[in-house]
Amino acid sequence: MPELPELNPVIHGKLRLALLSLLVGVEEAEFTWLRAKTGSTDGNLGAQLLKLEEAGYVAVEKKFVQRKPQSLYRITEGGRAALTEYIHALRELLGGAME
Amino acid sequence: MRENELEMELKDRLSLIETMIAEGRRTTSSWGWTFVFWGVAYYVAIGWTAYNQWPFAWLVTMMGAWVVCSAIIWNKKKSQPQRRPGTTIGRAISSIWFAMGVSMALLFPALGFSGHFNWHIFVAILAAMMGVANGASGMLLRWKAQIASAIVWWVASVAACFGTDNQCMAVFVAAIFFCQIVFGVYGMILESRERRQEANHA
Repeated sequence: MPELPELNPVIHGKLRLALLSLLVGVEEAEFTWLRAKTGSTDGNLGAQLLKLEEAGYVAVEKKFVQRKPQSLYRITEGGRAALTEYIHALRELLGGAME
Repeated sequence: MRENELEMELKDRLSLIETMIAEGRRTTSSWGWTFVFWGVAYYVAIGWTAYNQWPFAWLVTMMGAWVVCSAIIWNKKKSQPQRRPGTTIGRAISSIWFAMGVSMALLFPALGFSGHFNWHIFVAILAAMMGVANGASGMLLRWKAQIASAIVWWVASVAACFGTDNQCMAVFVAAIFFCQIVFGVYGMILESRERRQEANHA
């Protein structure tokens, strides 16, 4: 029996998976846009984004626009590769589960 | 039972990925009005030229339209509560239209000042450029209405090479009506429908 792949635990969390999937479709996104799209709280969103940042899956740029702080997030090459790998693993597991 | 639960969870994750990717790529920016705006600007320039044959009527109208259009876009962006993230497709489409605008802004005045301008050349080139921009945007967005608009511009471009000046102008006026006014209003209707859906979704 072939060995089934393991799912990346950093990506597997629902909110982190939603965030990476959102970021893969855009060039960069503001914290407020990500919050609106995921319906998450500031604290939880910040914590999950930090985990993705620590894993090297997202990069953040903090700046001031008209004296207001702005955090811009974008997916890194590593994050893109990890998400692709995760989707492959998911499909493989689903294929195995359906057999 | 546990296998079933696992399968459900995995399917749930896959569906979450698909939904979020689509959500990120969804663009609700409104551009339909710009088609109508530039269509009206073309009509103003045509009318002004027909009225007093002033050679700078087109140049002045287009420059004025560019200033007003830029001001409206800047104001709209400023009043948005949160900046929509840019997508690669969005940037590709903006680049096509921007490059087309620069080409027109350089070529047409040069044709006028060098004395090589005539209405057939003007309409044929303008329509061909509009065909390129609409065709490329339509293919990127897989939007049949915009590809149809490009085809109308290409037909107008060929037709402008034949017939009298008046016939050439009639072709131009008709192409503006279908590809700028009708297509722009259609775009605005779609955008307002999309905004309503997004408000319901939120």
